[in-house]
Amino acid sequence: MIEEIKAWFLQRGWSAFPFQEEVWSAYLNGENGLIHSATGTGKTLSAWMGPIAEWMAENPGLTKKLIKRSEAPGLRVLWITPLRALAADTELSLRLPIEELGIPWTVETRTGDTSQGLRKKQGEQLPTALITTPESLTLMLTREDAAELFGDLRCIVVDEWHELMSTKRGVQTELALARIRRLRPVVKTWGVSATLGNLEAAGQTLQGLDTDFRIVRGHLDKQIIIDSILPLNISRFPWSGHFGTTMIPPVISAIEEGGTCLIFTNTRSQAEIWHQQISAARPDWAETVGLHHGSLAREVRDQVEADLKSGKLRAVVTTSSLDLGVDFSPVDRVLQLGSPKGVARLLQRAGRSGHRPGAPSRVTCVPMHAFELVDIAAARQAAIAGKIEDREPLSKPLDVLAQHLVTVAIGSGWRSREMFEEVKTTVSYQDLSETEWDWVIDFVVRGGESLRAYSEYRRVVLGSDGVYRVEDKDIARRHKMSIGTIMSDMAMNVQLMTGGRLGTVEESFVSRLNPGDKFLFAGKALEFIRIRDMTAWVKRAKNLKGAVPRWAGGRLPLSNQLANAIRQELEYAKYGELRDSEMQVLAPILELQSRWSAIPAEDEFLIEQVETNEGHHLFFYPFEGRLVHEGLAALFAYRISQIQPITFSIACNDYGFELLSPESPPLAAAIAAGLISSANLAHDIPASLNAVEMAKRQFREIARVAGLVFQGFPGANKSAKQVQATSGLFYDVFARYDPDNMLLQQAAREVLERQLEQSRMAIALQRLEQSTILLTNPEKPTPMAFPILVDRLRETVSTESISQRIQKLTVLLETEAG
Amino acid sequence: MVALPQKALWWPSRGTLFVADVHLGKEASFQAQSIPIPMGPTAETLNRLDALIRSTRAEHLILLGDLWHAKSGRTPKLVDDFIAWRTRHQTVKMTLVEGNHDLKSGKLPANSNFEEVAEPFLVPPFALSHYPEPCADGYVLCGHIHPGVLLEGRGRQSMKLPCFWIGKRVAVLPAFGEFTGCARVSPVEGDQVMVVAEDQVIRVPLVS
Repeated sequence: MIEEIKAWFLQRGWSAFPFQEEVWSAYLNGENGLIHSATGTGKTLSAWMGPIAEWMAENPGLTKKLIKRSEAPGLRVLWITPLRALAADTELSLRLPIEELGIPWTVETRTGDTSQGLRKKQGEQLPTALITTPESLTLMLTREDAAELFGDLRCIVVDEWHELMSTKRGVQTELALARIRRLRPVVKTWGVSATLGNLEAAGQTLQGLDTDFRIVRGHLDKQIIIDSILPLNISRFPWSGHFGTTMIPPVISAIEEGGTCLIFTNTRSQAEIWHQQISAARPDWAETVGLHHGSLAREVRDQVEADLKSGKLRAVVTTSSLDLGVDFSPVDRVLQLGSPKGVARLLQRAGRSGHRPGAPSRVTCVPMHAFELVDIAAARQAAIAGKIEDREPLSKPLDVLAQHLVTVAIGSGWRSREMFEEVKTTVSYQDLSETEWDWVIDFVVRGGESLRAYSEYRRVVLGSDGVYRVEDKDIARRHKMSIGTIMSDMAMNVQLMTGGRLGTVEESFVSRLNPGDKFLFAGKALEFIRIRDMTAWVKRAKNLKGAVPRWAGGRLPLSNQLANAIRQELEYAKYGELRDSEMQVLAPILELQSRWSAIPAEDEFLIEQVETNEGHHLFFYPFEGRLVHEGLAALFAYRISQIQPITFSIACNDYGFELLSPESPPLAAAIAAGLISSANLAHDIPASLNAVEMAKRQFREIARVAGLVFQGFPGANKSAKQVQATSGLFYDVFARYDPDNMLLQQAAREVLERQLEQSRMAIALQRLEQSTILLTNPEKPTPMAFPILVDRLRETVSTESISQRIQKLTVLLETEAG
Repeated sequence: MVALPQKALWWPSRGTLFVADVHLGKEASFQAQSIPIPMGPTAETLNRLDALIRSTRAEHLILLGDLWHAKSGRTPKLVDDFIAWRTRHQTVKMTLVEGNHDLKSGKLPANSNFEEVAEPFLVPPFALSHYPEPCADGYVLCGHIHPGVLLEGRGRQSMKLPCFWIGKRVAVLPAFGEFTGCARVSPVEGDQVMVVAEDQVIRVPLVS
């Protein structure tokens, strides 16, 4: 059969890559696998043609054009994609070969966007190949006839697995795959991934512990060029995170060079700002510069994607929302605004250009402030050295497990022993203990220890036949609605008074707005009017005068590989060896930094002590990335505050962190008492988190996934509103009345492992305690300190009493609106 | 009139206590929807009311709305606890100014021995309400919004605390109930804000 497929390739003027043939024959041989390769190198067809060849072998001579949907074979291939946005493109690419080869299959998509009509048809008969998201896959498990649905399933393809696997959606996928393998053991799983540092672990996580699999290395020899737009006058280039206007003209000229240009930013608000700046600089481009990010309404994004494909747009400013897409329209130019943050991500973004065979992929980095030049040089060095990041699977999140148990209880139901064994075949839950299992069952059945006395609670019910099921229709309905929304942050619709939904923004951003405030969203200047029915109502503003500078959006932390590379790059700089052009341009700033304070070598730990009218600042520079710094900052603040009662506000960036206090902190005494020691971490880290704010924030997601917080749905009645409370309030109630609740423990664990990367933190401390401390007292904040100083998102650590603290605080008066 | 750290207002010359937004049975109304919230907030709220009545020796307790959270939260056990609590303070007169949650929860259980009144309920010079709307007939004492403020200071410090928000014509009490939380309010020139910080009520300066 492979010969027929190769013939079709030839007919189209293509020739099959050796790795594609390897995948096809492995598949026909009954193997499972993981394919990794650069973007745009034929990964989709490598995974897709195996199941087609299999069908052709089973049905010789049966090729014909399909006339009626109902005549197509039942579900044989499930294609899981992390983004709904990719589904439509994937559908097109999968259709092409079956149409040309005359395979009478149906290929359809099912996501949250699928029309009622098609859903109804799919309810009666699934297509032969179904493209869907992890959430929609999980929803299929709520059907009682799930076993029959998968009765002829042969192959599951998980696309862009690297994006899923370190997330709760990845864990959700692991659980769903374990269930399907239980229902249908012959099914084969093939993952498609970008290159990672730990492919073996990625493959095992996808396949589960009991499955052998093959790793297929795809086409990787594409040449990648990482260059940058350098600021002409470094002395006028900003030090802080807010870009000046300096880089706008060169970005405009890069776009002018012609072809289609993708402009990546690291945050949604940056995408908005750049879109606005480019439009302001070139009003004649108004119709041809698009904006695309995850908060924009589906329709808005669809339009941009369609325009990008048709060539109508010369440029799109975007975030990671356009990172993925094997078959996304090729572009001619890729710009990365701001630090690349990670090596793998930068390579992937570069891969969006140069799709022609033999053409190199190129990404041009545009620094937003001075020290980002170091990041760019470091990313290039790491890429040359082949230092790509790992992605780690998550370890047994109980919230996702609780949700899965309710899901399956709505569908076919489950028995405790069998389900425990099934769940234990996943990498994520391989260490799940009996105690944890019993707790989760108790949680979904009786609501946990604290509800034991309450008889009317019943989410999941144990039948006399030993099977756990959900019997209440309302509970089932509510659960299904929350599967679809588990990962969206508490989001509020943004809608124009004149009609038209623009997208969603974080609730926390909207809650800070006052009527009349202006902000930038969806490429428009908007004026906030009011909140009603979980919607922020807005109107078009005439200008952006006095606009709220930014809404939070996600922030990408620096990867460990890039952090290492940056430390190395600075060591070279300290000894005057400037290898890359970026470092040469930065020389005057580096010189200033070393004159005012110092540049740390790899075995040095720089600490700067500065006093300003804001108070006493301590800047520490471990160069370990934001996540580790958040943990270290809390730890250091805690350790210093053990010496004398003091309150710190904390700010971090990827290079270091700042502890700011109204009084002078006892730094020397703290260092003598083991400030930088890696001893006692098991005690000091949890103690430093005692302010619990971080755990509380992490609990937002857990509460949502575990089904505590129900976000409601359009037209929800009043009784739904009566059971709405913020997750913070839930946290407080649990902490006080059910302190042993394992979801609270999970929140603390997730903060340590995921947010603070505790293991990286310990390694960092071991490194830092071996380092020589460079303590300087600059007269004012140095070039390296400045970007941290201007960060407004801050945490507080305090050992003072509340009343002591209140004496130093005030409440800002509401100023007149307008 | 004294603002107590127990989140109540105390009028010593009349022996009257004011409390807003008690939200009894809130956890049970969540449980009724199969949301696993632990029991305990209602019992703790009633315990705190016990302690407050004892320490002030109040003769009259006036609740400024939202005594019960929802009809579904009135489980037999919680109603029994509530009646037992009421019986412990038989000699204390109790008045409920009805709030939005009370209207939906229905009439109080039999034997509650409460005077149930609509807003505004006039006790000159005060007009007692649930909603924070100015009233021509008196200075308004009310609840409903569960007020809290964000305190900010040098070194970019901040903290959010529940508060008494006292304006020219309306004073809003913090929510008394355990499972209530607070919403940030925006005071204007001339207002007074007193935050509840552990066992103290502290007036905080307002700056522009």
